[in-house]
This record gives sequence, structure tokens and C-alpha cells, in this order.
Amino acid sequence: MRRALAVLLLAGCSASSPGPGSSGPPARVVSLAPSITEIVYALGEGGRLVGVCAQCDHPPEVARIPRVGGYLTPSVEVVLATRPDLVIAVPSPGNREAVRALERVGVRMLVVHDRTLADLWTSIARVADALGVPGAGERLVGYVAGRLDAVRTRVAGLAPRRVLVVVGHNPLIAVGGDNLQDELVTLAGGVNVAADAGATWPTLSLELVVARAPEVIVDAAMGSEATGEALFQALPNVPAVRAGRVVRLAGDTLLRAGPRVPDAAAALAAAIHPEAFQPAPTGITPRAG
Amino acid sequence: MSVRAPYLTPGRLTATTAALALLLLASIVGAVLVGPVPASLWRALGQGGTSSADYTILFRTRLPRVLLGAVVGGSLGAAGAALQALLRNPLACPHLLGISGGAAVAGVLALLAGADALSPLVPFAAFLGAIGAIVIVTLGARADGRTTPHAILLVGVVFNALAAAALMLVNTLSSYLQAQGVLFWIMGSLSTQSYTLVAAAAAYAVAGLAWLLRHALDLNLLAAGEEGALQLGVDVERARRAVFVAASLLVGAAVSMSGMIGFVGLIVPHLLRLLLGPDHRLLLPASFLGGGAFLIWADTLARTMLGPAELPVGVVTALTGGPFFLYLLHRDLRRALG
Repeated sequence: MRRALAVLLLAGCSASSPGPGSSGPPARVVSLAPSITEIVYALGEGGRLVGVCAQCDHPPEVARIPRVGGYLTPSVEVVLATRPDLVIAVPSPGNREAVRALERVGVRMLVVHDRTLADLWTSIARVADALGVPGAGERLVGYVAGRLDAVRTRVAGLAPRRVLVVVGHNPLIAVGGDNLQDELVTLAGGVNVAADAGATWPTLSLELVVARAPEVIVDAAMGSEATGEALFQALPNVPAVRAGRVVRLAGDTLLRAGPRVPDAAAALAAAIHPEAFQPAPTGITPRAG
Repeated sequence: MSVRAPYLTPGRLTATTAALALLLLASIVGAVLVGPVPASLWRALGQGGTSSADYTILFRTRLPRVLLGAVVGGSLGAAGAALQALLRNPLACPHLLGISGGAAVAGVLALLAGADALSPLVPFAAFLGAIGAIVIVTLGARADGRTTPHAILLVGVVFNALAAAALMLVNTLSSYLQAQGVLFWIMGSLSTQSYTLVAAAAAYAVAGLAWLLRHALDLNLLAAGEEGALQLGVDVERARRAVFVAASLLVGAAVSMSGMIGFVGLIVPHLLRLLLGPDHRLLLPASFLGGGAFLIWADTLARTMLGPAELPVGVVTALTGGPFFLYLLHRDLRRALG
């Protein structure tokens, strides 16, 4: 247990020692998370991927690459069968043993985090370093940060609106504090009304929605539009419902700490401050619900 | 098990049922006044009228949720009481027999097949799943045209494990966001703002309870032993089938509207049998009313304990009901041995 932690911590600080026969930049890379796959492609190195996780679905070219198990449940032997010289993972309780096992057999591992914006910058830099393209990493960080700044500029000076971001209808699960989505809401000119709910993804009572009186509800929950509409229309004195500011967004863009976060930020900003976005930004078109 | 009152007089039936009905009513009123957000009944009924935040909190979010808790808790309690009698086993409950699991699996499959979460297809599928579970469990436990309570319980436990595995499979195969939908069935939640849903749940509950009450006397005889019941003229197989269908109706409707909430159907009838005696003409309505009150307070804890976030109600029912049930079992065991 302690060893596992130590291994994870070490792996988190730097790529651990290269395995036998791996000199120079890796040519056969396995990505165990959707956000990592997107980073590798955005660095222009998607051609080196020989294995990805089952949930990796962007960009579309990724469909051709063999799957090595689920995001939270990678298969060690399928990973090994791809003969990787670098495996990149995001730590979770589900893949801890798999990461350990891969390390034990001498596969070069890189473990990066994907919970906050700061994690994203570090991940991009570290993945780029490991792939031997640090310059591309710096350019990507600059590009993504620049697009985020553009969103920030667009809503600068506007009075922040109170926002609730919902990721599940029943039970009602919202974006809490201390995560990327909360940061994006702030960046997009919003104040997350569930930021203090005590969990990263808190389950909320409907009455809390009434009491916190969000001016905008962003509905990123899977499932039909009708479910969310029925849910919120029953609360007519929530300002967002009264003003018709219940907006649906595709969940996976918002939930993935990859190079597409500016798209998520722009979509959030357009939902929160529609007046600053005429016409609507490309990418996801928000619809008033 | 102690049997306190051997005879059930009409007076005692009325008095006890009325007392429990009052308890349930008081629980409904009390629970509506408690929540993570302060809300005043005075303001809700006074100045602001129906457009005030207090009114919305009390009558559009809390009251439907509390009422759904009453109906679901009642359904699980009554179904548990009937199953315990039928299987002559105080450990029998919708959960252990796999009825909840069958309902949940069918409900999840309906959602995955594209049914809208709000459409009546989902509770209907859950009901079919409950019936299916019962059919599979009873057929699996049948040998030479007869079924023994122990065989049913054993097959039920195995089927329940199968259902749990099927839910985990769906959970693993579906994306993170769909998994949120599966989570609802596994954890259970009474969150609702829809009186239509509550009314539908109540209709199922009343039908199921009435059906069970028609067989209350059969259940009394069955609980005393199958051979005896046969000799006293009970059509055992027919009575058993009727009770199973009625219990499936109750459990299927409850699970489809609130997910799997454990321990209500186990602990409430067990406790009430200890307190009120084993006559099902009283025990069935008592388990309904008591189950409703128990689930309302369990959900009130779930709503308020961690505020502003909330706990899954199934966690509260298990954590409060579990230790109490262990204590009861242990006491029974000591009595039996001492």
C-alpha cells in the first residue's frame, strides 16, 4: 500500500526510469485517458499512439486505434501486447494496480493529473517532454491559454452571474468546488452556486436550487432534454427558470481536462452572458431550454 | 419471536391502524418542516403566496419528496411483511429475494434502450423485471411441483447476486455520464418535484396493498406452516402466486421510482411483528404505515446531515436499520438458546 503510494507519487513527479531498450523519444505510446489522448493529438503526435482507452473518442481519427480497456479499468496484458515504450495514465483507485503492474515489468510510465487547469498545463508540458517535443508543448499551452484568455476578455467587465452546472438529473448532481469545471465557470464570468457544497460532484436537494437562486442553469447531464426541462420548470421562482436561461451543453467537452477546454469555456460564457456572444461561438451551440 | 396479542379485535385493529396513520401524518408534516434550507410555512402560506421561494421549497420540492418517501417506504414495508410470512422467514425481503434487483436491471435496460427517464415505460419495465425475477426465482426453486421457502430464499440470493453483477456490467460498459443514470438505481433517491409521479406510485401502492389484504388470512395460515394451511383449505400455490404478484407490483413500482432502497422491507415488518403480533390483517397495513414513516425520516437525515450536499437514502436506511436489525437477531438468538 505504502509502496503503491510511493510509486504513484514518484511517477507523478517525473517519468520513471526508461525501460530496457527504450532510448530516445518513444515511438509506441499508449494513452489510458481521453484527456491524454486529446493532448497527444493536439501536440501533433497522434501517429505514435498504439493503444487508447475505451472512452477515448476525440479526435475522430482515434477510432482506428486499438482499445486497451476502460479509462478506469485498463487491461495490463492488452497494454503489454501493444509493446509500448511509454504508457500515460491519470491516477485513479481503479487503475492503481494496473499502473503498478506495468511499472513492475519495466514499462516506462507517465502519470499526470487532470482535475484542474493547473493540472492541464503540467500535463501538456510533461507529455510533450516525454514525447521529446517540448517546443510543441509550449506552443500548445500558449495556444490553449490564449483561447481561454480570449473568452475571459469577452466577458470582462460584465457583472458575474450566479450559475449552477448540473451533470446528473436524478439524483441531482452538480459541479462543486475545487475542480476544472468550477474554474471554467469563474473564467466564463459566472459564480458557481454549488462551489461550497463540500464535494467535487455534490448531490443536491432541489430546494437548494431554489434557495441558491442561480441566474443561469447549465444542464450538462446525459439523458433527454425533457427530463431536465420537467425538473426545472417545476421551480418557477428560480431566476434562471423564470428568465429562460436553462442551457444544455454536451457533457463530455465540459468534463474533459484536455486541449478543448476553451470550447467548453466559450460555451459556458455564451450560456452565462449570451449578450456578449452575438452570434454564438463555433463548437457547441447552446440552446435555451 | 414474542407473540403478544393472540386475538385481533376489530377495536384493536382500528385503534392501532389509526395510531400508525397519525404517526405517518405527523412524520409527513414534521419532515416537510425540516430541510437543509430554512423555509417558513408562515411566509409560504402568507404574503408571498404561491410564487414565493418558501412556497416553492416547501410545496414544490419537499412535500412531493416526503410523499414519495411515504409511498415507497409503505410499499416496501408491506411487500416485506407479506414475503416474510409467505417464506416463513423473518430475513425475507424484496432485496434478498432479488425482486428489487430484477426491477432495477429491467429499468436500466429500458433506459439504455432509449426510453426517456420520465416515460411510463421505465416503471412498467421495472414491474416486468420484478415479476420476471419472481418467476425465475420460484421456477428455479421448484422441484416435483413444489417449492420450499428455503429453496426460494437460496435461489433468490443467487438471483440477487446475478442482478447486482448485471448492474455492474452496465455500469462498466456505459460512459461516465450514463453511469450517473445507473447510479440512481443502485443508490436510490427520492428526489422528485412531480406530484404526478407520487400519484402514480400511490395508485400502484394502494392496488398492491389491497391485493395483499385480500390474502391476509391466507398469509396467517401460511405463516404457521404450509401443511397446516393445506389442511385448513388454503389453496397454497394459488395464494402464494397472488401474494408474489402483489408484492412484485409494490416493489416494481417502488424501485422504478426511487431505485434500490434496502432494509425498509426487512426491518419494519420484523419490528412491527415483534410489537403487534403476527396477524396480517393488522401487520400489512401497519407495515405500510410504519415503512412510510421510517423512510421519511431516513430521507430527512439524508437530506440534512451533510447539508448542503446530500447522502444516498439507501446509505441511511442501511446504517440505521442494519445495526438495529443485528441487535434484534442477536437478542432472538440468545432467547432461543437461553
